[in-house]
Amino acid sequence: MNIKTLILIIINSLIALVIALLAFSSYQQFSNVLNDRVLLQLNSIKTLKQNQIEHLLKSEWERFESSDIYTQDFDSSVLKLPDSLKNSTGIHDFTSYHIGKKTTIGFVSNSKKGTKIKVLDYNKVKKILLERTGMGDSGESYLVGEDFRMRSQSRFYPNKIPSTLSVKTKGVANALKGINSRGIFKDYRGVDVYSVYSLIKVGKLKMVILSEIDVDEVTIPLKQLRERLAGITLGVFLLGVMLSLILTRIITNPIKNMQKSLRIMAEGDYNQTNEFIKNSNEIKEMFDALANLKASLQGAVKFSDDIGKMNLHTDFKPKSANDLLGKSLLAMRDKLIEFRNNEENTRLLSKRMLVNGMENERRRLSRELHDGVGPYLTSLKHYIENRVENELQKTEMKKIVDDTISEIRLMSNSLMPATIDDFGIGVTLTNFIESLKKSTTVIIEYEDLTQSENSNITNNQAINLFRISQELINNSLKHANAKNIRITLSEFDEFISLFYFDDGIGFDLDTVKLGLGITNIKERVAICNGEITINASPGSTTFEIELPIEL
Amino acid sequence: MNEIKLIIADDHELFRNGLAELLRKHDDIKIVKSVADGSDFMELINDQFEAEIVLLDITMPNMDGFEVLKQLQNLSTTIKPIVISMHSDGNYIAKCAKMGAYGYLLKNTDEAELILAVRTVNKGKKYFSADISEKMINFMSTQSISENVLSNKEMEVLGLISKGLTTKEIAAKLFVSSRTIETHRANILKKLEVKNTAELIKKAVKMNII
Repeated sequence: MNIKTLILIIINSLIALVIALLAFSSYQQFSNVLNDRVLLQLNSIKTLKQNQIEHLLKSEWERFESSDIYTQDFDSSVLKLPDSLKNSTGIHDFTSYHIGKKTTIGFVSNSKKGTKIKVLDYNKVKKILLERTGMGDSGESYLVGEDFRMRSQSRFYPNKIPSTLSVKTKGVANALKGINSRGIFKDYRGVDVYSVYSLIKVGKLKMVILSEIDVDEVTIPLKQLRERLAGITLGVFLLGVMLSLILTRIITNPIKNMQKSLRIMAEGDYNQTNEFIKNSNEIKEMFDALANLKASLQGAVKFSDDIGKMNLHTDFKPKSANDLLGKSLLAMRDKLIEFRNNEENTRLLSKRMLVNGMENERRRLSRELHDGVGPYLTSLKHYIENRVENELQKTEMKKIVDDTISEIRLMSNSLMPATIDDFGIGVTLTNFIESLKKSTTVIIEYEDLTQSENSNITNNQAINLFRISQELINNSLKHANAKNIRITLSEFDEFISLFYFDDGIGFDLDTVKLGLGITNIKERVAICNGEITINASPGSTTFEIELPIEL
Repeated sequence: MNEIKLIIADDHELFRNGLAELLRKHDDIKIVKSVADGSDFMELINDQFEAEIVLLDITMPNMDGFEVLKQLQNLSTTIKPIVISMHSDGNYIAKCAKMGAYGYLLKNTDEAELILAVRTVNKGKKYFSADISEKMINFMSTQSISENVLSNKEMEVLGLISKGLTTKEIAAKLFVSSRTIETHRANILKKLEVKNTAELIKKAVKMNII
């Protein structure tokens, strides 16, 4: 579930809950108040009418009693009164004795003077009951006899004789038991009504008076309220949804942007420059933090890029003590430096071994020719001297052998002069240059400043210096078009210096490296842990080579 | 006529035999011993073995010709060494001559010259052929031997310092690196036991070397 839905659900269910609670409680409140008001009003109407009826009966009774006319003033054709009733003084309900069951209340008085009987004018009662002020459209007050039958004309059934209507309602039952109260229940029509009821007892007459109004009529404002509340609820709810949509957009848009940025970064692109709307401080800070993260990652990326290109002297500072990435990168760089140094050492070592092996092989071959083959050839010469009789042949053969021996000497010398082992580099270079002078017009000046006795130059250094000098002289003679070459080899307490100069055309260090064997020279200097400085301008090409004295 | 008693010291048997055969043709020369290396030869000498001349190779196992020459110089022996070697470079010849060799022959020397050398040396003279002498002198001429406390290069540097040149200028003039000149200068100060250039000039003038 995404955050938008979540926020929407939470906010809106909260709003809905609050509105529902408010609506419900106000509805309840209103309904309670309404009930009370209606019942109170009904009660006052009922009480008024009860009092009026009781007053009417009492005043009629008093007038009846005080009258001296002893007549039985009633229509005996419709009213069949039993004698027992005629002898009972008091107010009676004659309805059950009426042929048409018309509501009839009568007074009976027995005295020494005779019997008086009078029927109350029902219209007086009816007038009281029909007074409907404050009763709305469905309000009604009516009387019910002890036999649960209606005694007054029903508003709803104007053509029915009241006593044919049975009113066996909760109110009548309660009232007959002497409980005067109020309530909401079904009336004689089966319709829900608010009802207030009480017993009217005057003399022997017992009737129940009820004032009722239909629930439906009373609750019309309630229904209206309900509709209005529903409308308000809906409106507020819709408003809530809209507001929460806006809110979620405010909250989720930056989160989505952040998500997008992080996704791009997760794909390894730290150079994105998307600008986002930052609509609050927190979000601004969040994006600042993102920018920081990006910057630090970019730093790390640049650093690892440098490391990848083996620029191992690039500096990098970890962002904090907890910057594991930075620390790992630094550790990696240090390892790589160590690795490269080791590799360089290994490379130098193997190069040194290779060169040494090659030089040893040359030395072996040179000695083999000089000290092995040479003596055999001299033996051959001895043989010729001893055994060949023909003088002409002897001379010729001896010459061939001598030439061969000379050739062997040259070969041996060019492979590796024996002098280098027996006399050291100083004399070897002297010999080498002396021999060169015979075959070139270039003026070569050589100055040997090595120690002739107790020299500290090692054999390996001597060989490498010799080869370097050979290569340099060879270059000058072959390519440089030089007229003068000067070489100084100096041995000091701390170092050996080979200084080489020619006045040739010079060369471009970057382009002719391989052709001039400069790579070889550099390798040999490196093998001896030495340093070389080359200056190759036309007319003055110099090589300064320094090797440390190894004691 | 006394026979010339001769020892051959060489590690090649074939060479020794060939040489012996060659020499046998000459009645005045007698090969009394033939050894394969320097230490065998020195044993003979230490045992007071009698011989006038030794034909001595340079390149030998155990003990080479140079070492033999060096030891012979310190002994009161009358044996005269003639070096017979494959090496034709002047430095070998010069070194042997310096170390008391009476002669220097290349191994492929003709019989006549060999015999001449033996006979000449036997008379107490030294024998170096024209070729050999030239090689030796050529080499020696390249060697600059300084009689002074300072080497020739140091003398040169000192001269330029006294003329007021800077290290850089001297380096450029002498075709060496500044560091080399710096080192030379330090060595000169050390050798003449002075602390700075001013003292150096003073001392050098006093010593009459500039």
